[in-house]
Amino acid sequence: MKTRIPILKLNEVLIVSIQWELDDQTAIQFQEDLLNKMHETSALGVVIDLTPIDFIDSFIAKVLGDVINMTGLMGAKVVITGIQPAVAITLIELGIRLNNVMTALDLENGLDKLTKELEA
Amino acid sequence: MNKLMVESINEYMDEIIERWTTRMKEEKGERFFHFMPDHLVDKTSREFAELMTSNIRETSSIDSDKINEFTEKIVRFGWAIKFVNKAIDNFSNVVFELLEEKDVITDENLRRFIVLFSSWINPLRESIIDAYSTEWERTVSLQKIALQELSASLIPVFEKISVMPLVGTIDTERAKLIMENLLEGVVSQRAEVVLLDITGVPVVDTMVAHHIIQAADAVRLVGAKCMLVGIRPEIAQTIVALGINLNEFTTKSTLQRGMQAALGMTNREIVEVNGQ
Repeated sequence: MKTRIPILKLNEVLIVSIQWELDDQTAIQFQEDLLNKMHETSALGVVIDLTPIDFIDSFIAKVLGDVINMTGLMGAKVVITGIQPAVAITLIELGIRLNNVMTALDLENGLDKLTKELEA
Repeated sequence: MNKLMVESINEYMDEIIERWTTRMKEEKGERFFHFMPDHLVDKTSREFAELMTSNIRETSSIDSDKINEFTEKIVRFGWAIKFVNKAIDNFSNVVFELLEEKDVITDENLRRFIVLFSSWINPLRESIIDAYSTEWERTVSLQKIALQELSASLIPVFEKISVMPLVGTIDTERAKLIMENLLEGVVSQRAEVVLLDITGVPVVDTMVAHHIIQAADAVRLVGAKCMLVGIRPEIAQTIVALGINLNEFTTKSTLQRGMQAALGMTNREIVEVNGQ
């Protein structure tokens, strides 16, 4: 049985905490799960927390980028929180700039930002 | 033969040193001797002469400790390696001429003396230059470390606001260090706005700009904002002339203005207190 990434709903926001390094299969599964969940709950925002992750490869980065674009298409705002310095450097070196994504230091800040963004 | 040479060199040591010093002073374009006080010149010359004659004196092995000690000194004085090489040349010339004058070297034993001379001077020159370059490399690497220690520290100024003053030329290696320190600092200080102060960066070319843009992007990824401050007029001109696009992040002319903007971003401002 494959492990799945839990997606929690808090008011209008979905919270995802990625706790271990994703393999390709799990990443794809996560993409599907998140989009389905969004459809079910009609959430307005998503927070993805990457604090425990200290390594990311180009495929996972691409999937993340795709997920962000897709959720954007479905009308939700995404905040990525807790990107570690090492991960940030890898992403920049891979040329992945995640230009149109909000970022925050941790889940707390991320939720703050998202709430402000949704109120605006 | 060896003994004869050692004895005569020791006998005429003072004269050799005197002639050698005069000759070194006459060297064109070499001002090392003029900068140094006389007693220091004298002492160093004597040490040099001692070093030069140390390996013909007895067992004819070169005392590496002594050479290292001496080269450390001359590197500190700032003598160029060319000058040191010249000094060795002049020294052997002076000795040769003097011995010829004193009739120690005659037409008959000239050949043997030449062999003796080259087997004396060459290993000496090799080891001095070797020690010199080692010492020089050591000095350079020490300075590099010192520079790294001085550069790229992230200073928390207010809550959520940190400043990184950059001083000196930025190369790829330093840019990497800056990026690492910046990101680690942002996470550990929980900064929301980071001000990169480039007042002390003398040249901003495409490479430096590229590194700064990368750093700013990475800062955004970990969840903070990066602001570039301290842009001098000439830097602004080069940036535009080179066609570098810095539109994506905030830039301010001075740290002061940057700080005001940063406070604004975190919903704060500086208020004057009307006290009595």
